[in-house]
Amino acid sequence: MNNRITVKLNYETRSVMVQPNDTLLDVLREKLGVKSPKIGCERGDCGACTVLLDGKTVRSCLILAIEADGHEIVTVEGLSKESLTPVQLAFLEHNSFQCGFCAPGVVLAATELLEQHPEPTAEQIKEALSGNLCRCTGYQSIIEAILDVRPMARNSRRSQNNNRSRKTQEPRDGHR
Amino acid sequence: MTTLKYVGESATRIDGLEKVSGAATYVDDLEFGPNLLHAEIVESSFAHASIKRIDATEAEKVPGVVRVVTGKDFPYRFGLYMQDRYIFPIDRVRFVGEQVAAVIARDAQTAKRAAKLVKVFYEQLEPVLDLEQALKADAVLVHPDLGSYARCPWFYPQPKTNIAHWRKTRKGDVEKGFEEADVVFEDTYTVPRYAHCAIEPHAIVGHYDLSGRLTLWSASQSPYTQRHVFAQALAPLGISHKDIRVVTPYIGGGFGGKAGVSMEIIGVALAALAKGSPVKLRWSRSQEFYNTYQRQGVIARIKMGVKRDGTIIALEHTLHWDAGAYAEYGANVVNAVGLSATGPYRIANVKIDSVCVYTNLPPGGPYRGFGYSEFHFGLESHINAVAKKIGMDPVEFRRRNAIREGDTLAYGAQMNASGLHEAIDRVAKEIGWGEKEISRDPRKAVGKGFACFWKAPAMPPNAGSAAFIKFNEDGSINVIVSGMEMGQGFLTVMAQIAAEVLTVPPAKIRVELPDTDRNAYEWQTVGSHVTWGCGNAVRAAALDAREKMFTVVCRSHGCAKDTLFLEDEHVKCRMHPDFKLPFRDFVISGIQTAQGNYLGGPILGSGVFMPEFTSALCDPETSQGGHPNVHYTVGAAAVILEVDKETGKIKVRKATLAVDAGKAVNPDLVRSQIVGGMVQGLATVLYEDIRYDLRGRLLNSNFTDYKIPTARDIPDEIVPIIVEVPQPDGPFGARGVAEHTMIPAAALVANAVEDALGLRVKGLPITAEQVALALLDIAYEDVKGSYRGFCFAGKADAYAFHAEGTRRKRATNGKETQSRKGSLK
Amino acid sequence: MAIAQQFEYVKPRRLSEAVRIASRYGNRAQVLAGGTDLIGLIADDAVKPDLVIDIKGISGLDKIELRNGVLRIGALVTFSDLQNSSVLARKFKVLLEMAGWVASVGIRNRATMVGNICSAVPCCDSGPILLIYEAAVLVAGPVRKRKIPISNWFVGPRTTALKRGEIVTGLDLPLPKTKHAGCFVKLKRYQGEDLAQASVAILALAGNSYRIAFGAVAPRPIRALKIEALLEGKALSGPLMDEAVRLLPEEIAPITDIRATREYRAHMVGVMLKRGLEAAVSRLKGNGPEYGSSVI
Repeated sequence: MNNRITVKLNYETRSVMVQPNDTLLDVLREKLGVKSPKIGCERGDCGACTVLLDGKTVRSCLILAIEADGHEIVTVEGLSKESLTPVQLAFLEHNSFQCGFCAPGVVLAATELLEQHPEPTAEQIKEALSGNLCRCTGYQSIIEAILDVRPMARNSRRSQNNNRSRKTQEPRDGHR
Repeated sequence: MTTLKYVGESATRIDGLEKVSGAATYVDDLEFGPNLLHAEIVESSFAHASIKRIDATEAEKVPGVVRVVTGKDFPYRFGLYMQDRYIFPIDRVRFVGEQVAAVIARDAQTAKRAAKLVKVFYEQLEPVLDLEQALKADAVLVHPDLGSYARCPWFYPQPKTNIAHWRKTRKGDVEKGFEEADVVFEDTYTVPRYAHCAIEPHAIVGHYDLSGRLTLWSASQSPYTQRHVFAQALAPLGISHKDIRVVTPYIGGGFGGKAGVSMEIIGVALAALAKGSPVKLRWSRSQEFYNTYQRQGVIARIKMGVKRDGTIIALEHTLHWDAGAYAEYGANVVNAVGLSATGPYRIANVKIDSVCVYTNLPPGGPYRGFGYSEFHFGLESHINAVAKKIGMDPVEFRRRNAIREGDTLAYGAQMNASGLHEAIDRVAKEIGWGEKEISRDPRKAVGKGFACFWKAPAMPPNAGSAAFIKFNEDGSINVIVSGMEMGQGFLTVMAQIAAEVLTVPPAKIRVELPDTDRNAYEWQTVGSHVTWGCGNAVRAAALDAREKMFTVVCRSHGCAKDTLFLEDEHVKCRMHPDFKLPFRDFVISGIQTAQGNYLGGPILGSGVFMPEFTSALCDPETSQGGHPNVHYTVGAAAVILEVDKETGKIKVRKATLAVDAGKAVNPDLVRSQIVGGMVQGLATVLYEDIRYDLRGRLLNSNFTDYKIPTARDIPDEIVPIIVEVPQPDGPFGARGVAEHTMIPAAALVANAVEDALGLRVKGLPITAEQVALALLDIAYEDVKGSYRGFCFAGKADAYAFHAEGTRRKRATNGKETQSRKGSLK
Repeated sequence: MAIAQQFEYVKPRRLSEAVRIASRYGNRAQVLAGGTDLIGLIADDAVKPDLVIDIKGISGLDKIELRNGVLRIGALVTFSDLQNSSVLARKFKVLLEMAGWVASVGIRNRATMVGNICSAVPCCDSGPILLIYEAAVLVAGPVRKRKIPISNWFVGPRTTALKRGEIVTGLDLPLPKTKHAGCFVKLKRYQGEDLAQASVAILALAGNSYRIAFGAVAPRPIRALKIEALLEGKALSGPLMDEAVRLLPEEIAPITDIRATREYRAHMVGVMLKRGLEAAVSRLKGNGPEYGSSVI
């Protein structure tokens, strides 16, 4: 049986027909043209399918599309529309991502964290990211970037949280 | 030597913006319209069985099903180094989960439902799930027709056995060496299988259009090699290479798992049979675990003879590999190790036997490190044990034996330039080697571990790279290559190399993802060789473009070519400081002469790199005479870890790794490989734990029970160190590093655990559970129940290391067999 | 892999309607709240409902309220809601500690504690905590509402005391009347998201009284009544804790499975019990490790 659902997707009202057994992930990707949430495991273990549902990170592979009726969804496409957010810029400057497959989920997890804790500690960052698996980076460059987004106390906090390791060998030459 | 402007800079990745914004596109993101068909495979539930009959009648009736495909529709064998695989097996299945048939349907849910309705009738055969059983003279054969398989000439399968390949390396005289040694020590080490766990599962879309043009969009590290294997596998259909097009968008991690050809061949076959419609096949996470390449398991016996002064006189290294059901790629892992299992040390007398054994488990294949992580675990653990026996510091022991430029390798060729001693010294300093640390918590013990490593790219001797460079009207550049960006930063590094030669900043350079129709050739992006191989091709192409620019300037301005140079996107002249011709003025439209006509035209550079000095031809009994490896990258690493003696939990406080990159084209990206590789390596020793049941079925084919690290599971600190002893034939001196950074991890932890607890662990993984039980004097092997992690039912120390039914003499394990001159530690 | 199972979906606005539908369908229907357990089961074909009843439209089930000494947690309260609750931060710190150990943020934003105990997997994190708080499970059925003591709730692996047509509406946790502190210890294979290999939940009440429960070391979460009796009224000491550990084989029945051996579980429960007791008692005295930091 087909149902029509209406969602606010990346700040725009969208309407689409879904079957009860369609996951939100599949509907976003196949019917609503939003490709940034990825299929990684379809069991909620890897975080690649993460979207913001009413402002909170969720695993869209474990949500039926029909459950999202009347709700608000934001993905990385919505964040990036006008310009990059400060955390996206930090990830860019720090060369945080490698293959990029986990990046959309990580960006959203970091976005949610920074909204709740504008100056997170490294421990808080690690906890916030612990549901997003990354096989490439070893997470260090991602954590450093998020630490760098904080407006104040850049230098003192950074050395406390062991950022020096990647930087002992050569100074950064900054964004090119 | 001029100062470099772009090479050596930590430039921002040129694919960074795509990846942070969500714009980066992967195979599953591509749209193919309403005509796209979906496929689901039918899997074998047995590790070894004859296929008696396949009944697809129920499945075919399901509305929306287009076709059900079985091996009869595609009775062709394929493989990279040996053709031992079928697209769908014809006569028998060889591992649990192997594809037996496939359903093509209008939508994914229908395909999935219909696949469940396909009935397959099997006659079970005895599965080969034990290495010792596999090597018995009367063993059940996984490949009874092994003798008839086409293969590359430097592989040596033994027909009528389960031995797919046997690499023998013999240098000097090991028996004499052992006699001359002061101390001889031997022991056995085991390493189980591992899964790549790239976050993006394998996927392929194939479209065999109505004109006979076959296009594949594939999540692959190797578009050209895929095209070649597809062409060979489909040869009976008579499709020319030019009519097969392989396009590879970004891939979400490779680590070797997306090299060669695994599930993609199924997509190709289905596309060929569903002519006119594109067909998509995407693996689930479970299938990623059991039906793609796995890293092979190995049991290794190491016998080392040393002099009192620490010199390694003789090394005998025997490795038996659990290679799985098909060895078409995995046999090369075994081969590479057979040539290099001395580790980065100068040893006069060497005997290596690396044996590739078929089993009824998923096929082994390339995984970051390509066999080197596996053998370094045993070797670097053994070195610590031997050093302890002669009372020498293990770092000093390594220093004394570390290989140098010009030394003779195990197979007779010469070692290339390398900074191994510098790496050892810098790592020892960074970790505070020699300073014992004690934990403030009496329940915890602190240990330090050290290891050296090396690796050479394992490639055929004719693995070529090519590059095109074209200019655009505004002076920007497209670099058109088929090396694959899988996260390592390949595109950025190529841009930096082109930038350095052509003086165009990387921000004005695009490096194009592969498309075999348009991009120049690259063998595969594997082996940590593309920075070197494709980098050389890009540099050659840039020089070619530069040459063409000079030519047209000379023709139009009448100056001598050797007075010209490039700077800041201009052609300039040493003789005429005022002469500054911007690229954008002429790289498309040419240079106008006084007469009004135009000279030149579009500037195009092309370059090729071929390692013409390599050869795989050698004596099959000794491996002497060839030059199979282009060069080695070396390094050293160390960890400090803390073990909780009650819980067994290990916390890595600090890890440091030095690798000789020759020239770090982008130091930031080299550091990223060190951090990422170290974490992936530590995961294999601390967390990842493959489990089979006694019938060969993988039990933990998911992230719930196969644990890869999260952000909370990383060392407190990782210190990357870049050593730069130039590679003379590398672009600006560069050589590859991306696999090397995970190689030493297992040995580091084993050595550090011994330092902390006095406990020597000779098998992986080293989980908290195993440490805790070991401290309670409970051997994990005794209690793990029916969950098999390793392809040998008995205890490792009892493994007989025989082959072809011949039992070899086996010395008592963990014991010395010889000692001279007085007492030992 | 898409979900092959085809089913109908309803989202009733009223509890009575949900109960009526659940009664009619029996085990052909599944109740959906957070879905972090159920959707995966359906995708795996482990559960094959004809109908999914989404209860997220029923108002009043998402509250956390402390009234008359009883904390009522509604069926739709997520683990994130628990983490953000000031009531828990002040009065139910061990519950808060447990909530932080569940999975990861993206799961906690959806997963509910009620859903966790309805799954009734032996390793569920909520079970031991609710046992030590002596909670009651609030159930609405076709005939009547009832309160099931948590000690009767878990019948076996994936089996609860819920009857046909019943839906859990919430949990009642009586706030212990004496001064108390506690500790929740979860054994995982690493620091990241993981199911419990073993878990221990402890409440230490003023006057040397204890409530202790274990998870993942028996077919269901269990109270350690023998150990509680041993410790009752006595000041904690090394030898006393050793004695408690010696009683463990009478309390727990760990198995060897893919996640751990029985030997490791048995050993670790002893370690966790000791360290958990020490932490709980220290916290009761006003020092001790911060809630949320792991003692193992």
